[in-house]
Amino acid sequence: MNKNVAILLSALLISMTLLAACGSNKTESKAKANKRTELVYATAKDINDMNPHLYAGSIPAQGIVYESLVENTKDGITPMLAESWDISPDGKTYTFYLRKGVTFHDGEPFNADAVKKNIEAVQSNKSKHSWIKLSTKIVSINVVAEHTVQLVLSEAYYPTLLELAMTRPYAFLSPKDFSSGGTKDGVNGFNGTGPYKLTEHQTDQHAVFEANESYWGGAPKVKKITAKVLPTGETTLLALQKGEVNFIFTDDRGTDSLDVQAMKELADSGDYQIVRSEPMNTKMIVVNSSKAGSPVQETAVREAIWYSIDRETISKQIFNGTETPANTLFSSNVNYAEVELKKRGYDLETANKLLEKAGWILENGSKIRTKAGSQLAITLYYDANSPSQKTEAEFIQSTVQKSGIRLELVGEESSSIAQRRATGDYDMLFNQTWGLAYDPQSTIAAFTSESSYFHTTNGIANATELYTKINKVMVSTDEQTRKLLYADILKIVHDEAVFIPITNGNVTLVAPKSLQGISFKQTQYELPFERMYFQ
Amino acid sequence: MAMGRYIIKRVLISLPLLVTISFFSFILNQLSPLDPAEVILHAQGVPNITSELIAETKARLGMDQPLLTRYVQWFVSCLQLDFGNSYVTGKPVWSLLGPAFLNTLKLTLVSVIAIIALSITLGTICALREGKWVDKSVRGIFFLLTSMPSYWLAALIVWYFSVKLDLLPTSGMDTYQSYILPVTVITISFAGIYFRIIRSSMLSNLNEDYVLYGRACGLPESKITLHLLRNSLQVAISVFGMAIPVILGSTVVVENLFVWPGLGTLSVKSILSRDFPIIQAYVLVLAAAFVIFNTFSDIVNAALNPKLRKDH
Repeated sequence: MNKNVAILLSALLISMTLLAACGSNKTESKAKANKRTELVYATAKDINDMNPHLYAGSIPAQGIVYESLVENTKDGITPMLAESWDISPDGKTYTFYLRKGVTFHDGEPFNADAVKKNIEAVQSNKSKHSWIKLSTKIVSINVVAEHTVQLVLSEAYYPTLLELAMTRPYAFLSPKDFSSGGTKDGVNGFNGTGPYKLTEHQTDQHAVFEANESYWGGAPKVKKITAKVLPTGETTLLALQKGEVNFIFTDDRGTDSLDVQAMKELADSGDYQIVRSEPMNTKMIVVNSSKAGSPVQETAVREAIWYSIDRETISKQIFNGTETPANTLFSSNVNYAEVELKKRGYDLETANKLLEKAGWILENGSKIRTKAGSQLAITLYYDANSPSQKTEAEFIQSTVQKSGIRLELVGEESSSIAQRRATGDYDMLFNQTWGLAYDPQSTIAAFTSESSYFHTTNGIANATELYTKINKVMVSTDEQTRKLLYADILKIVHDEAVFIPITNGNVTLVAPKSLQGISFKQTQYELPFERMYFQ
Repeated sequence: MAMGRYIIKRVLISLPLLVTISFFSFILNQLSPLDPAEVILHAQGVPNITSELIAETKARLGMDQPLLTRYVQWFVSCLQLDFGNSYVTGKPVWSLLGPAFLNTLKLTLVSVIAIIALSITLGTICALREGKWVDKSVRGIFFLLTSMPSYWLAALIVWYFSVKLDLLPTSGMDTYQSYILPVTVITISFAGIYFRIIRSSMLSNLNEDYVLYGRACGLPESKITLHLLRNSLQVAISVFGMAIPVILGSTVVVENLFVWPGLGTLSVKSILSRDFPIIQAYVLVLAAAFVIFNTFSDIVNAALNPKLRKDH
């Protein structure tokens, strides 16, 4: 080799290393360049179709543009677009007294007529809303007066107000934006009543929301919010360092939308703060109790897997503490979830005993247990696009092996996993609960749904009892009865170990240090931007 | 005369090619074990996908028809320049694919110009200084640069030029400045290959008799170089002609890194959500681009070199 080439190459390598080495100390002050009244947040996905009556749009974006009749808060249901309401004694009729003087972003008045049109538009597309049971109970919506509407249900349904409080589908769009009288085939504009207006949208680039100066709750102090589409990882981190973006949070992609280590470095630089909410959801392994021929049909096997998972280490090592160990399907801050349940920690000894008792034995020096000639081998499906799920799966594989269980890992696209869940073609897969506000009722309602957790729950001994109780709890009008029924339901699925909790996730956000008034909603999908301000 | 017939022949050959390509991509899309209706509903974010909803969606999108019927329907409407609506968003395919195609085309054309300029300059310098240190070091450096994975190279230059020096935006497609970094990354990964082609073609030309004659007649070196370049470019033209569709189709990584709202980003999104009408149109557009540019470079070559025309 020519000497010159060698010298040149090494010079190049050295200069590149130098470039890399002297970098870390100069990037801090960039964030200060940010304009003080603006937030620019990074999002992995475009805000997409903002139609509030469908599900393609970004929930955090829909949440600041549209509003519901009521809001779900820590203290229960509070007024939003409805100032007050009455519920008839039979629980079938809800009368809402609407807030006066509210207008949509296009100037149209928000009144009983607008409420009727919106709810009817949602109801005309029922098949897409089957997850929200309220959609199957609404009989009619009637205008009583300019600012009074009446919602009539086919039977009492206790989560009515909760479900009306959700970001979608019962949110309100200016009737002027309706296309051919409805919203299911697209809309002509995105005018809600919320604190922010959508003023610009470049698909797959950015969306701009500006403060609604005539917002009924007072004009928001953060005047402009931009949602910038950036892939997670290096690009986002670089944009944050440069100050092109000054806000990130765990959006609907959850924990994987933030790089834990990078976040810490940013916070250490002194310009950013990390804020975390209380637990919002539970990450879990869903076990298919009705899978014919699979060892996971046995309760003992499911329990043994539960005992063989080291949640502490997963929380500390894989999530750097951003997720906390979960020992029950719902964390105790979820409604009706304060139930006394059997404690199952990381305990390989118990796991081994359980398997031994169930007839799964280790034969002459083998590391994997067998029973009647078949191996204790189980397949776990994870989302191939989620780095954290892959790491967790590998870690769990290594610990369950100590109990003599062979775990095979298969990474697939998320839609493929959803299809497995719907058809029952799986032993175990990663999933998470719907999250605060939707827990427990939506997650539990999904136990009976063919496309969700029906296969998961159907193989247990008292499945029929479980389903009866679930149907009962949704229509029960008495708080005490509901409490008891939920306790029974949670006890059944806990004892049967069909949902193996791993960690509790929360909303984590990274914001400029000068941003104050950061709080959270009772849902992981939205942030109350209107309460934030710069110091 | 001969030239005209040659062009007609080339165009006629490419038509069945397009049909075949579109048919195969149609079939390949169906091979996925996932139920497309379900994936579409999933992409639309519908929380609870019931079997009734799947059946309803299939009927609405015509998925309950036999495969061949669907292909023929699709093909016939394509001939009428109607590429249908996106399954996921319901918007016309062209309203999504058109802007994305233009964005990618802009990036590609700027990159191709940069690649051609750089390859010709470097190729000429290296050929004329064959074996000297300039030749060796240029080849060495580009060998190194070309072998770097583009995502890594991109991260490195974004970090240096955008974050550290604060000169350029890290991503997006807002100003002409946004072009600099992605074009640099694409140029580096392609120029390293193309300048070698120019170099070797010049080297082989250097041994031709006309160079010897030129020199013997006392032509100035600069004139000889020009002749050399013209003759060497013939090889390069077909290569560059193909470079355009190749880059069009391979910008996925760069587009994702720089958040360029182009074909790469759109196609990956569509593939993941089984948005058939977009995938089909995307394949068709790319295939057409390959055929067109290939034909184009063949024609240019044929025009430059009568020897090629005789063969056909």
